[in-house]
Amino acid sequence: MAAAAGAGGAGAGADRPQVVSHVQQALSYTLFDCKWVPRSARLLCLGSAARGTGVLQLYELRAGRLALLREIEKAKPIKCGTFGAASLQQRYLATGDFAGSLNVWNLEAPEIPVYSVKGHKEIINSIDGVGGLGIGEGAPEIVTGSRDGTVKVWDPRQKDTPVANMEPVQGESKRDCWTVAFGNAYNQEERVVCAGYDNGDIKLFDLKTMSLRWETNIKNGVCSVEFDRKDVNMNKLVATSLEGKFHVFDMRTQHPTKGFASVSEKAHKSTIWQVRHLPQNRDIFMTSGGAGSLHLWKYEYPAQRSKKDSEGAEMGVAGSVSLLQNVTLSTQPISSLDWSPDKKGLCVCGAFDQTVRVLIVTKLNKV
Amino acid sequence: MGDESVPYLLDQGTTKTYQIPIGHLDYKFIEKCTDVKHLEKILRVLRSGEEGCYPDLTLFCEKRIEHLDPGSRALRKDRPAATASDFTAEEWETINGELMSWVTEMHEDDHKPQVLRTDMLLEGQDNLPPVRCSSSCLPANQNEKLQNKQRSKKNIPRDYSEWDKFDVEKECSKIDEEGEENNSKSRFFNRPSLPLIEKKIDTTGMTKKEKIFIATREKEKGNEAFASGDYVEAVTYYTRSISVLPTAAAYNNKAQAEIKLQDWDSALQDCEKVLDMEPGNVKALMRRATVNNQLKNYETAIEDLNKVLCIEPENAIAKKNLLETEKKLKGLKPVSKTEGKGRRILIEEIEDSESSEERGENAEECGRSSGDKGRRQAAGPAAMGSAQRKAQGAKAEGKERRRDPADPKGTAEEGGQRPEQQGEGEADGYSDGEGARGSPAARQPPGAHGDAATSLPPAAAELKREGNELFKGGQFAEAVLRYSEAIEHVVGLGEQIPDDLSILYSNRAACYLKEGNCSDCIQDCNRALELQAFSLKPLLRRAMAYESMERYRQAYVDYKTVLQIDSSIQAANDSVNRITKTLIDQDGSSWREKLPPIPVVPVAAQLHRWDGGCFTSEVKPSSTTDTNREEQLQMNREKAEEEFKTLKNEGNEFVKNGKYEEAVKKYSECMKLNDKECTIYTNRALCYLKLYKYEEAKQDCDHVLQIEDSNIKAFYRRALAYKGLQNYQASVDDLNKVLLIDPNVLEAKNELEQVTQLLHLGSSTVTGSLQKQRKKIIIQEVTESDEQEERQLATSEDVVTDDDTSKEAVQKSTLLKTSEKLTISEPSNAYDFGQVINVVNANKDKVACADLLTITDPKKLPVLLSNKLEVETFVIFIQSLEHYVLGKDPGLVYQHLFYLSKAERFKVVLGLLSKNEKEQVQQLFDLLAENQNQYSSEDLESLKKVYEL
Repeated sequence: MAAAAGAGGAGAGADRPQVVSHVQQALSYTLFDCKWVPRSARLLCLGSAARGTGVLQLYELRAGRLALLREIEKAKPIKCGTFGAASLQQRYLATGDFAGSLNVWNLEAPEIPVYSVKGHKEIINSIDGVGGLGIGEGAPEIVTGSRDGTVKVWDPRQKDTPVANMEPVQGESKRDCWTVAFGNAYNQEERVVCAGYDNGDIKLFDLKTMSLRWETNIKNGVCSVEFDRKDVNMNKLVATSLEGKFHVFDMRTQHPTKGFASVSEKAHKSTIWQVRHLPQNRDIFMTSGGAGSLHLWKYEYPAQRSKKDSEGAEMGVAGSVSLLQNVTLSTQPISSLDWSPDKKGLCVCGAFDQTVRVLIVTKLNKV
Repeated sequence: MGDESVPYLLDQGTTKTYQIPIGHLDYKFIEKCTDVKHLEKILRVLRSGEEGCYPDLTLFCEKRIEHLDPGSRALRKDRPAATASDFTAEEWETINGELMSWVTEMHEDDHKPQVLRTDMLLEGQDNLPPVRCSSSCLPANQNEKLQNKQRSKKNIPRDYSEWDKFDVEKECSKIDEEGEENNSKSRFFNRPSLPLIEKKIDTTGMTKKEKIFIATREKEKGNEAFASGDYVEAVTYYTRSISVLPTAAAYNNKAQAEIKLQDWDSALQDCEKVLDMEPGNVKALMRRATVNNQLKNYETAIEDLNKVLCIEPENAIAKKNLLETEKKLKGLKPVSKTEGKGRRILIEEIEDSESSEERGENAEECGRSSGDKGRRQAAGPAAMGSAQRKAQGAKAEGKERRRDPADPKGTAEEGGQRPEQQGEGEADGYSDGEGARGSPAARQPPGAHGDAATSLPPAAAELKREGNELFKGGQFAEAVLRYSEAIEHVVGLGEQIPDDLSILYSNRAACYLKEGNCSDCIQDCNRALELQAFSLKPLLRRAMAYESMERYRQAYVDYKTVLQIDSSIQAANDSVNRITKTLIDQDGSSWREKLPPIPVVPVAAQLHRWDGGCFTSEVKPSSTTDTNREEQLQMNREKAEEEFKTLKNEGNEFVKNGKYEEAVKKYSECMKLNDKECTIYTNRALCYLKLYKYEEAKQDCDHVLQIEDSNIKAFYRRALAYKGLQNYQASVDDLNKVLLIDPNVLEAKNELEQVTQLLHLGSSTVTGSLQKQRKKIIIQEVTESDEQEERQLATSEDVVTDDDTSKEAVQKSTLLKTSEKLTISEPSNAYDFGQVINVVNANKDKVACADLLTITDPKKLPVLLSNKLEVETFVIFIQSLEHYVLGKDPGLVYQHLFYLSKAERFKVVLGLLSKNEKEQVQQLFDLLAENQNQYSSEDLESLKKVYEL
């Protein structure tokens, strides 16, 4: 019986994607974020050294190992980074640090930032870019979300001041903004920013009309939000929360009162730190959990994505999510996750056990 | 917890955490337990090891849960990342090899383009939009608004003490403000729903690699949009991808999306572009075949499909499509030989009853009016109109037909090597089998067809087959036993074949439903659905069972789910309507609130069933339940009507697909329900014709003609049947009748020509040339005979004139008609008048001439006669006036004579008159002198002088 089950298990496993740990690399500092350098086999690790400085390491993937190409030390610990607003040729990295500064680095000459602004009073928790890398129409822009409660949008061509600023008014208790994401950049005008806060608020800012387009609350702190694609007409948004739930919103149909339809799933037994959509298929995404686990999900659309309510207004219909695979890599939270934009299934994740792992997810074609 | 403590713990009644009896931690209990929640608890206890460590039992429990609920969260185990040992050596090699080659490729790239880069930097930035205006920061009031919202949100969980401070007026005004805000917001939501996406991407300054990257990305966006069913968006993104870098794949996918949108021309173009790039692209060939099929270019479609089969001889879809297309082509073949026009299709087109009734009316009208001389001409346009209408109807039908093949098979193809393709292929076979048997699913369980493809162990498969046989034979109890054995066998093996197990349960459920054992039926359906969520048949059966048990809410939910999977199932639609009524009666207007939630069917499940869409629509609740007999009776009647329609449509569908045998069966079933409907007979006759069963076809047509004696289609098809039976004379007769009813039916004319030739060919074997000569004589006879009479005879008595409708005859008859008509209506010009005069002269028809003169204004006579006055005309005028007009109106005669003298050539004609003729004129004047009242004798005398008398 056991043998049969074993065979059955392997048989079932053969159809499903598998997560293979390709390379592991121990680090000597706390890793906050890791990113693939577009159009290359290199990756960046950002973090905080024991002595309170910022570390930026560039690794290259070579035959089964990670080779350190460059290590740069900066004054302040670096919390997050993005290539989203950089052109494919330049590939400048934008980072947010503990002091609230936004810096854009040329990795070939990292001594002085090509752009620098002290944008926030406190730590920049999250950063995202759009308009670069051939992803997203319109101007390259960077959005930062900070503990000081503000969300600011920057254009690297404009010094010192943000091009949009979303902050609570004076006297209002400010919430810690944990995560930001761009979306809806399907033409030159349209663009939205989604921000998640520590109290469970999710706010959607429309940069075209400069207005708050939608907000909701998912009860627990929002650790990570991401649109399935930044450069299409808003399709889906995934928001993960502190107590191990995530919500998938169908962003195509906004009901005047009920907003966007969503489906939620409780997966990890702990905080879901990150969600990242597969760049080659927007309906597949990975979540990383507080207990060192990774879950690979697939979103299934419903038969009809929208319906009319009793008053004739269009409202969205949420689909369902199914688990494709789950693995546990560590006992410590996996705080960062990034899919390679160039190689389908290649992915890097960094955990609080001071290890960066390069993973291969197989059979994503067959999902 | 150590192993030593186990014996002691076993003595305790329950486990620690969940209070489960210790006895439940047992193979036997777990094997029988169906409560997933309970099993999950047991699993948790076992995994925790608090009652000891039993790896085998844990595994067994997991398996049991997986069996009952494959998606159970309890099964999600923490797993380490996969390692080499989880793969076969080859797989592992490919995984690593692929990565390594990618890494090497990337490294090579890195070292190349250093120089290029800096040049591009500036160029790229020129095209960027301006920096977002800094004044466009979120305005302060916007922030306030945002803040207001935050505040109001925070107000929601109020303390009781806070309620004391609650200021009603303030809150009310706030609500008002918010209302305004909402208004402005909702205006904002009403933005144009179609996003404006640029169709082109500016690629200036991009390297080739970048272009590839962007083109791939845009294509992927297209694929994703396609997967979510947004084909318009998909086409846009494929277009963008092509604008960056034209690739065969992008064109191919675009073609598929356009096929979905039924944009055949664009799809055709795109397929051709792919084939320009890659002449042997199978997908493009398949798609072009689909498009050509839609555009009715069957021959081209067949060519493409043959090419596909050359490349991939095992391609099942291509084979199937090829067969269908060939059938369609065959259906058309005779046309393309005899005539190039598509008109012929029309008469073969199977129509719905409405249009054919309309047609019948028109035909009748033709028949009636053909007897009535006056209305005959009016009938012409009417018949034309009907022909046009028919053409439109045919077009509409054509459109509808185009819709069907836009099946989601393409979705699977699009991914190429996706596993769904195989799955859907099976699904195809599944539904095909069903369609061929053509019996309602409730009556007959699925699965007999699946034997070949099934993964059931042979013993179970055998049991299942037996069960199916028994079920067909109506021995439901025995069938249940067989199915149960099969299920036990499969479960006992513990293998993972949820699909087949699901079918077994579903089949057993069908038996239970038949037996009226609704509760067991529901149970089995539940199991089947656990194994295979959103499976159509179990859902339908469960719905029927619920309905029988008067658990309408559950039934409603299930029917609704069924409709989500396949909205074309008529039975489900009907039942939903019925149940809605019942529920409204029962629960009042708020009945919806009491419904259990209706599950949302994922697209995958929906698509999966879609293939079988047209077949599964046969599924009929033929198992009428014993409850509510009165309702039932009424329902039955409605149902019969519905069933009739469905059967007919299915029959029509089969005809369109060239499956005439099946169509005949359907139509025959229709006749059992209603034998008064002529269209069914004519349609079946068509099928018989296709099947070369001429005798049957003739009988059907005879039947129709008994009911409706001027059914044009019946005549036409009987003619074809006679032709097939080599009874050419009868065929010619019928074709003539067709032409009699509607002379514009081209195909009938052509057919007539053909048959006449055949007829003469047949007899010419005996007397060759003589026959041909006689034929000529016949024609001449016809032309020389008194057409008008014969025509009247023919039309009124429905006797066929044996004319080959020679052109001359037609011309003559029209001439005659005009003359008759002109005697009534006044000639407006000299030409009209001259025409009539010619006829009158030719026939020496004095009556007609008198009529003409009666209605013609004498003053106009000189003008009308113009310079055409001849002795002949003059004489017939005089004669007519004397014999027919004088008695009625001598004044008019005088007037005519007076104005006749004013006509040109009057003097000439007068000089040419013979003595006899002069006497006739003199006679007329004498008569006139006798009845003078409107003219004086002086006038008459002076006129006499003009006439040289």
